[in-house]
Amino acid sequence: MKPRYRYTSLILVALILTVGFVLLCSQTGYGETLQDKLLGTGGGFIPIEGWITTAVDWMAINFRPLFDVVTIIVNVVNDTIITILRFGDWHYSGVFVFNIFGTVVQIPLLAGLVGLLMWYLSGSIVTGSAGLVMLWLAANFGYWPETIETFSLTLTSAFLALVLGIPTGIFAAINDTADTIIRPILDLMQTMPVFVYLIPAVLFFGIGPAPGAVATVIFAYPPAVRLTNLGIRGVPTELIEAGESFGCNNIQLLTKVQLPVARPNIMAGVNQTIMLALSMAVVAGLVGAGGLGGVVVRGIQRMRVGEGFVGGLVVVFVAMILDRATSNIGQSTTEEA
Amino acid sequence: MPSIELEDVYKIFGDEPEIALKLLKEGKGKDKIQAETGQVVGVRGISFTIEDNELFVIMGLSGSGKSTLLRCVNRLVEPTSGKIVLHADGTDYDVVNADSETLRQIRETQMSMVFQNFALFPHRTVIDNVAFGLEIQEVNKKERVRKAKELIEVVGLEGFGDSYPNQLSGGMQQRVGLARGLATGAEILLMDEPFSALDPLIKVQMQDELLDLMEEMQRTILFVTHDLDEALKLGDRITIMEAGKMVQLGNPEQIIVNPKTEYVADFVENADPSDVLRSETVATTSFEPDENNRVRLTESAEVELDSKGRPVQGYFSQTPIEIRSLDELSELNEDVILSTGPDTPISKIMRARLTYATTPVIIVRDGVMIGFVTERNILHGLLEKGREDL
Repeated sequence: MKPRYRYTSLILVALILTVGFVLLCSQTGYGETLQDKLLGTGGGFIPIEGWITTAVDWMAINFRPLFDVVTIIVNVVNDTIITILRFGDWHYSGVFVFNIFGTVVQIPLLAGLVGLLMWYLSGSIVTGSAGLVMLWLAANFGYWPETIETFSLTLTSAFLALVLGIPTGIFAAINDTADTIIRPILDLMQTMPVFVYLIPAVLFFGIGPAPGAVATVIFAYPPAVRLTNLGIRGVPTELIEAGESFGCNNIQLLTKVQLPVARPNIMAGVNQTIMLALSMAVVAGLVGAGGLGGVVVRGIQRMRVGEGFVGGLVVVFVAMILDRATSNIGQSTTEEA
Repeated sequence: MPSIELEDVYKIFGDEPEIALKLLKEGKGKDKIQAETGQVVGVRGISFTIEDNELFVIMGLSGSGKSTLLRCVNRLVEPTSGKIVLHADGTDYDVVNADSETLRQIRETQMSMVFQNFALFPHRTVIDNVAFGLEIQEVNKKERVRKAKELIEVVGLEGFGDSYPNQLSGGMQQRVGLARGLATGAEILLMDEPFSALDPLIKVQMQDELLDLMEEMQRTILFVTHDLDEALKLGDRITIMEAGKMVQLGNPEQIIVNPKTEYVADFVENADPSDVLRSETVATTSFEPDENNRVRLTESAEVELDSKGRPVQGYFSQTPIEIRSLDELSELNEDVILSTGPDTPISKIMRARLTYATTPVIIVRDGVMIGFVTERNILHGLLEKGREDL
């Protein structure tokens, strides 16, 4: 570190400590010792809990239109995915409206297609058949609608997380200041216990898939940003120079050199995002997002061990299907490259 | 015609280049400036002019600033001060002060670059790699592929067009790099240690092919290397750099024969001079024709000159023999006197002497004999690198 910066940061730390100490002393009330404050026995001296509660309440009222727009976006994406997965079942806000085929046709059709898709993506017929068998089992355990709901909530959240995350990652990769600012925010998003923001999500987005999806997006967004950023920053300098030396402008450099070279990394980010979205989509069952998470939560609440366990098992099936399908996309590009 | 002119180009790495620049001009050394200000001097006060179709070599050890200097020319590295002028298509471009769009156009159409570690795009096939520059020039796909295939053939990679770079060997990858550099039609090719990462045998082969290519295509090449043999073999002119400074500029023979500093002398110490020394440099040039207008070359060999100094007849033990050019010595089963021009490398004379004649080779410029080369001249030339001080 350069001397100048070292001194600046030292001064800054000293300043913060001084202000903190003065604040501490000034807030120490009658009959209360400084020690009480420091040990927290006096109830803390920065009333941050109150601030947050007030802020959340205020936002729930004043940001209503914004939250409504988000709810609509989530519902549209989610409904579309469910409609596709159920071949013509038409849903609105996660509620079944209309169906052109019967469920009897849907199950083998979707299981078969997923099996074929996995076979194609992984190149292994064993993987393909495993996918088919797992979906068939899920249906026969009696959790077909829940499986589809979890699938669609996961894909919806992963889709939104990627749509937001990849551009953020690109921005963080080409702008160092943005990177410095974004990094701690991502840390916060990834390490903050999820239950903490599930509750405000319900306040903001009501019931249905929306609050679950929003919480899931918050949780699944960081890896998309991080791996895109990492991938682009990891592009060898010589390749950037090659691009520049042939007269690329910044956009061409990004689309013709950086993004394609970073593709294996970005694909790993896609895979991570989908897996994290699934784990969170299950937890979102706590706030009534339905799906397999709902099955597990119900099992726990009513002490039905079997139900909870089977719900969990189907979650594992869904996880394996999603992982095998998406991890192979990344792999096939590295081989090709 | 000059192609690129550099004038007093400096590059200083760090956030306060002006201070370092000032100290440099006061005569302080690179290490001292780095210790005092934390600024790293990359390149200092470089001026030279590269002619059209010249292969100009920048040579130096790692850290001498040679790659930095090369990158200043297309501004992959921003020069701190100085002037770089590019003459192309009848226009003079001020490279250092060009705005970003002009600079982009210069890179797109006037200069291309070949890299040490090939820098091929791993996600593109050989054809798409070669066509990259054309894609940036917005040439249509059909034309792009046609041109790319043509160049893939030129560099000898027919049939590999649809391969990916990681399926090719190092030598083949650098051929792709070269084809990519040639494809844009840019007059100027910047080559940054292009053969350094290759096996020795492949390297020599690539050097030969580059020289062949130069014969066919009119290109100006700025070639960076740390390998003296490579520099001597390829360069029309060579500049040697040390600690960011240019210590000598000259053609290969001048570098070998007259190293200007201790540094250059150490460098050329173990170089093989036989391809670099010219016949004129090693020749005995002081001779007196006798009363019969004959010059005695050895005990038994003589050559007769006419009144203007042109060789007319050779003699071996008083028997008249033919004078023949060194280049025509294909069928030779009698004694002749060989003649050659002043610029023939002595390796060629050595080879000819080894196979055919035992007489000295006479050196002729514009028809007039200016000297002759004996075995002693050749040995002296090889051992003393042509230096006269013995």
